[in-house]
Amino acid sequence: MKKLIALMAGAALTMAACGGSDVSETDDASFESGGATETEAPATDAPPTDPPVSEPAATEPGGTDAPPETEPAAEGDSDGVLNVPDEFATIQEAVDAAVAGDLVLIAPGVYNEAVDVVTDEIVIRGLEREGVVLDGELELDNGIRVLGAKGVAVENLTTQNYTNNGVFFTSADGYRASYVTAYRIGDYGVYAFDSINGQIEHSYGAGSPDAGLYIGQCFPCNAVVDDFLAEHNGLGYSGTNAGGNLTIANSTFRFNRAGIVPNSGSYELCYPQRDNLIVGNTVYSNNNPNTPAIDVAMLAMGNGVVAAGGIGNTIERNLIYDHDKTGIALVPFLEEGANDDLPTEDEWAQTCADQREQPLADEIPEQLLWEPYGNTVRDNAISDSRVADIAVEAVSEPTGGLENCFLGNDITSSAPAALETLAPCGSEAVPADDEAWSVEPLNVLTWLTDAENAPPSVDYEIAELPPIPDLDDMPDAATAPAEPATDMPRSIDVDAITTPAR
Amino acid sequence: MRARWLVAVIGALALAGCGSDTGTSVGGDPDPERVGPQGRVAQFIVQCEVSHIAFDDPIVLPWQPGASHQHQFFGNAETNADPGYERVIGADTSCDQRLDTASYWSPTLLDADGSRIDAQKLTAYYRPGQGVDPADVVAYPPGFMMVAGSSAADEPQGQDVIAWSCGSGAVRADTPPECSLGTTLRLWITFPDCWDSSRLTSFGSGAHVRYSDDGCPESHPLALPQLQMAIDFPPVAPDGLALSSGPIHSAHADFWNTWDQDKLEREVAVCLNRGLVCGLSG
Repeated sequence: MKKLIALMAGAALTMAACGGSDVSETDDASFESGGATETEAPATDAPPTDPPVSEPAATEPGGTDAPPETEPAAEGDSDGVLNVPDEFATIQEAVDAAVAGDLVLIAPGVYNEAVDVVTDEIVIRGLEREGVVLDGELELDNGIRVLGAKGVAVENLTTQNYTNNGVFFTSADGYRASYVTAYRIGDYGVYAFDSINGQIEHSYGAGSPDAGLYIGQCFPCNAVVDDFLAEHNGLGYSGTNAGGNLTIANSTFRFNRAGIVPNSGSYELCYPQRDNLIVGNTVYSNNNPNTPAIDVAMLAMGNGVVAAGGIGNTIERNLIYDHDKTGIALVPFLEEGANDDLPTEDEWAQTCADQREQPLADEIPEQLLWEPYGNTVRDNAISDSRVADIAVEAVSEPTGGLENCFLGNDITSSAPAALETLAPCGSEAVPADDEAWSVEPLNVLTWLTDAENAPPSVDYEIAELPPIPDLDDMPDAATAPAEPATDMPRSIDVDAITTPAR
Repeated sequence: MRARWLVAVIGALALAGCGSDTGTSVGGDPDPERVGPQGRVAQFIVQCEVSHIAFDDPIVLPWQPGASHQHQFFGNAETNADPGYERVIGADTSCDQRLDTASYWSPTLLDADGSRIDAQKLTAYYRPGQGVDPADVVAYPPGFMMVAGSSAADEPQGQDVIAWSCGSGAVRADTPPECSLGTTLRLWITFPDCWDSSRLTSFGSGAHVRYSDDGCPESHPLALPQLQMAIDFPPVAPDGLALSSGPIHSAHADFWNTWDQDKLEREVAVCLNRGLVCGLSG
């Protein structure tokens, strides 16, 4: 998420004061665009004006530190394995030469490239996860960017020092990132946008001001995150409007400003955020004041899991501890600068594809308040939360009317108090107007003040990061056959997942 | 859809001098596809901080340093009154996309006392224009220059050219709205996106470019990326705001293509031509 969002007291008053939907029209302007007062001037020394040909460049500027070949082979040796740099001097050259089913196999070295992938069903693999380093040198935008190509897999390599993203899939149907490291990245470590049928596994993201791992704009996503480690980011996981058969499992989120943050917003499609399964994760010590952080990370700081305006998520069997605020919080999200009106409840089941075809609301408010509805929080082990182990709060309506439920959590505190009694899963909740809902409330509006007073963001380029931990390599990277991401996600036995032990 | 498309005024026809209409889009609503959620329309984006402030304008007042109203420059660190392309290509940039060494500039925002309100950042959105087949879009040629909006305007220019909003919200206004502390005051400037395919610049007249309206006109047949500059300011009170170019309606902005040309062409090819969203920004 990249929006400037604030939770504010008196939201309705503010809305009224901000001009509402006063979009005026002007029919009679009659001046020339470009400026009636602007004067003629001599020609510049700019180059000739032939229209450019917009073909992808063969390689990204920046080259590679890997040993260059003077005459790279045009097509490798036709064995379906394109070796870098032995057969192709750069990763981009190999990727451009690859066809579906091919394996681009990268030898250890530092590659100063930003690789674009437009070919379906290729696999890009490093021979060593630590040793194959794509380094953007804080100059290049994305380590590997998969652009609408289906079934591409990225395996066993490191991306670092990119201004935007480490590994980025956009509009991919079928994708996989396995044994990928993303370190010191300007936006997101591993990022899947508008992409479906994916798997992100055994991967690592650190040092991003936004999120180490981000899945955005998909419903249903049909994706699994399994064994991801996110640390020292603004957010460990962010998922704007991402859900629908989306499982985040067996992963660790630690030392970020906030841990796991699915969220709703109208600045990208597929709102609201719905239907995540967050299970079997270890989430701890997400209070880190020394990370780079966008404003939302400042706002969510000190929380393990925050469903910010999310709907119908299930958060279960996670181990969560040591947070300055809450272990799990279901809270509203006030979106400033709305791009559409809130979807009605009967639109909550609408797919992303269907929503894309819908017109915008006739009247769009300045602000939207996304409330968290219908989430299930059960069987988590939560401890050492300085505000509450579990919490829920609404702003625009009674908190007890949101149909969230809580059951079987190993906790010592909640906000409101006795939350598992107020809203147990599987049995009737205490009526929303019962004053028991007002006992020891969360007071989420104080988070705004906290965010203003929080330690400021540290520039991602200079933020202190721990060394990359010792992470598993992909087994048999040199010999394993190419496995394009054509049948993703992998099946996951959710029922077999148990709460991690501390 | 662009709601209105006014046929050119007689004077503009004369200015064009080539028998074509000038097709300048004024007085229209913003295109809903471009004010709603991102993700519907292909785009790539760049975010830049202010690089420098100067009384220079290499498009309208070339080689006349200090002769312009005050401008805030984004992107290329070397842009000044000298329009020499080779001088600035490859210079440092204030943009996060380091290969975007293009030059973007606009008049500065002034409060009621005439003091400058510093911009926080620029977001440059590049998209196919309205009704344009994304596959047809080509990159700006090296050194290409254009202006959007009019420095002489003293009335609203049409929100499909100049608009104000709070943050990236879809609610747009002709004048700066009052915005809450949690957001920004944002100025939107939408550039022409159809080119006559020959002239790199018309020195501020706008004769070499047009806005698309269900595609590009015959006179300006080549579809370029439609650049939309979004300049964020702190959410200041709107009363008395003006621009260094004059009243608040005199908003305009300038673009000079000093991108790393290979990178620009690549972004057009892999993002716009393929109809993909290559980045988002609130």
